[in-house]
Amino acid sequence: MTDKRILDMNGIGKSFGGVPVLADVHFHLDAGEVVALLGANGAGKSTLMKILSGNYSRDAGTIAVNGSEQDLKSPADALALGIRMLPQELSVFSDLTVAENIMIGALPRNGMHVDRGAMEVRATALLERMGLDWLSPRTRMGTLSHHVQRIVEIARAMNGEARVLIMDEPTASLAADEVQMLFGIIRRLQADGISIIYISHYLKEVFAVSGRIAVLRDGRNAGDFTTANTNVDEVLHAIIGNRVGDLYPAFSVNTASAADVVTVEGLNVEGWLRGVDFTVRQGSITGVHGLIGSGVEMIGRALFGAAPRTRVERVEIDGKPYQVSTPGKAVEAGLGLVAAERKREGIVAMLSLRENMSLANMPLFTKGLSVDRKKEATTTAEWIWRLSIRARNAEQPIGTLSGGNQQKVCLARWLLGDLKVLILEEPTRGVDVGARQEIYRQIRQLADGGLGILLISSDAEEVAGLADRSIALASGRVTEIFEQPTEASALMSAASKSAAAA
Amino acid sequence: MSQTTVSTAPTPARNRPKNLLGHAWAGVAMLLAFYLILVAIFTVLSPFFLTVKNLLSIGSNMAFIGLMAAAGTPLIIAGGLDLSVAAVAGISGVIVAMCYTAGIDIWVACLVAILAGGLIGAGNGALTNGLKLNPFIVTLGTMSIITGASLVLTGGLTQPLMIPGFNWIGSGKIGGSGGIPVPLIIMLVVYFLAWWVMAFTPFGRYIYASGGNPEASRMLGIPVDRTQILLYVASGLAGALAGVIVAAMLGAAAPDSVGKHLLTVIAAIILGGTSLFGGRGSVWGTLLAVLILGTLNNGLTLLNVSSFWQDVTKGAVLLLAVGLDQLRVRSQA
Repeated sequence: MTDKRILDMNGIGKSFGGVPVLADVHFHLDAGEVVALLGANGAGKSTLMKILSGNYSRDAGTIAVNGSEQDLKSPADALALGIRMLPQELSVFSDLTVAENIMIGALPRNGMHVDRGAMEVRATALLERMGLDWLSPRTRMGTLSHHVQRIVEIARAMNGEARVLIMDEPTASLAADEVQMLFGIIRRLQADGISIIYISHYLKEVFAVSGRIAVLRDGRNAGDFTTANTNVDEVLHAIIGNRVGDLYPAFSVNTASAADVVTVEGLNVEGWLRGVDFTVRQGSITGVHGLIGSGVEMIGRALFGAAPRTRVERVEIDGKPYQVSTPGKAVEAGLGLVAAERKREGIVAMLSLRENMSLANMPLFTKGLSVDRKKEATTTAEWIWRLSIRARNAEQPIGTLSGGNQQKVCLARWLLGDLKVLILEEPTRGVDVGARQEIYRQIRQLADGGLGILLISSDAEEVAGLADRSIALASGRVTEIFEQPTEASALMSAASKSAAAA
Repeated sequence: MSQTTVSTAPTPARNRPKNLLGHAWAGVAMLLAFYLILVAIFTVLSPFFLTVKNLLSIGSNMAFIGLMAAAGTPLIIAGGLDLSVAAVAGISGVIVAMCYTAGIDIWVACLVAILAGGLIGAGNGALTNGLKLNPFIVTLGTMSIITGASLVLTGGLTQPLMIPGFNWIGSGKIGGSGGIPVPLIIMLVVYFLAWWVMAFTPFGRYIYASGGNPEASRMLGIPVDRTQILLYVASGLAGALAGVIVAAMLGAAAPDSVGKHLLTVIAAIILGGTSLFGGRGSVWGTLLAVLILGTLNNGLTLLNVSSFWQDVTKGAVLLLAVGLDQLRVRSQA
């Protein structure tokens, strides 16, 4: 391994709409080095990597590749410099061959035709480099298993003069032996002098594969450790810092005595959750924390009847048996769900704030055969005031509001009805810090008002800061139950009991 | 915990100058302006155009297309599509004629035809929503089946239906010989009904929500599938009613009389500002578009322009209007 500096990012700054996301960030990479880039959600990891891969422009700072300063104005610039990014989600062409998938960005030509011979020869060479010498380049991509497709994707990234490979949560959907296979490939690439930036929440994997750990927190450098000379606690501390405090309201006092409003036993979602039990208590916040891919995405919507292939042994709502079926039935039973993907599953962008507000509770706003617009308008005005939603007026299309204000509407629409349990999926994703604080305060007020709240988040800090009791999920199972408010680090280590650690 | 800290500053996030083109009614206003320009041009070019009689005949001739478009509009807004509607109108006339020939009372025959239309709509809805099939493919298929079935049932022959009471709903007038044509009245009643449902009922809200964002609507417990199925039924009923009116107007059931007008129906809905992707549109836009297409047809005929050129003009107008509307929508985004 040489000490040759391949990448030097200095004083990087970036803001979106006046809100700084990165401030004076430094990041460097030597040839053949594997550096883990860590940080909580919103710490600025992906913004930094999008700047490096030419997807975002930077507001300040310099980037030097191989010692010479670069502009990096577009993804094409980054590709030409040998900077390759492996996206979090698989992006392959299932109906094309392995060779075509690998060479798609630079198909060798013979006049007007694709030179299939040359394409397959080059693809084979790249596959061999990945240790996939058994794989024929003519195999159709769709017939391969997920982890082999992933490796073919890495082969594609290695085509041409690759120097730096950015891997964003590469193990999110891999099993233990597949993770080991991936690590083998990382070591091979490393031996070839390729530098790797490894983004992951799984600390054990990070410790197994990286030589150095760089931590970001709130858009700034928060630590740079040689992996061999540090430990999990030190790294977790750097990730979390000491800022958990006034962002969150106080915890509930009488959680233990409260009754269970929802009891779930044996919740299964094919491919996601296995035998999960949990309860939601009246007047308190029950947190669920897990990393992306752990099943945390499904637990709320499975109870709500919105996850396909769900089986559940027993559910009780308010002591009465409940059969999970459709969201419509869940709403009737007094459940509400605020979805994580607000644009896709939360709002109807073209409709007004008022129309979005009443949508889940139309029977409440119906007089005779028609909509009671007067009641709709007064209720909307009331909630705009109560949640301090910032909008021109109630008739503004909701798609034109900011993320935080959209989220407040998504909350309010459930609160105006007769609700027993509110399921919140990633309630502050894409929401700025100011609005976050207000949303947290509102969630706490709702719990104090007697509502049972299920707070589902892949952000351990959020669960630690808000939940009166919580459970941690990993690989579709409950790994730990905390009956009291707990620390983010405890939740994180319970949730990073990854299959890869075995 | 006080609310005052934040709610005292109600400044909107972005203070964009209020754009007139961005107003909800701007699309309809543009169509109205276009219609008036068209009327002005034809008035100058033809002395026969601007007469009460001629204008009413446009309305009367376009009524069956307007009916189909009135039901097609909420369906497309809700995220569906019915290409079989004109074929349903065709078979509806055939059913009336067959029932009548079999000795059934003419009004009962009409009822049977309309119910059959609703049933076909329910079939379209069940296939698209129950089996999750693409509405374009499903209704293309049922369109072909129904068109074929009409020809099979009649052997391709036109069946006469000269019954004075019955013909009145196609060519009758209220208020003497210069009065308002019955088909026009039926169409306007349907438009008011559709408007009331879409603008004032919870079901209307579900129509816009289902098409605007089906995933979000489902997550809110809105019966998206039921909404769409009911609209397919409505489209089938409207198609059948249109068929009855055409049969009454022609005094005969011709199996291939309405099918060719499908593209005009779809063109009117799109021209009227309804988004093919769902979530946006109004029946008044559609009604104006029907008037525009009818006026164009009528005016060009009065000017002795060949019907071949009329098709070219109709297509050009459609592209122009849709292009302008897209510019308008983008300017507000």
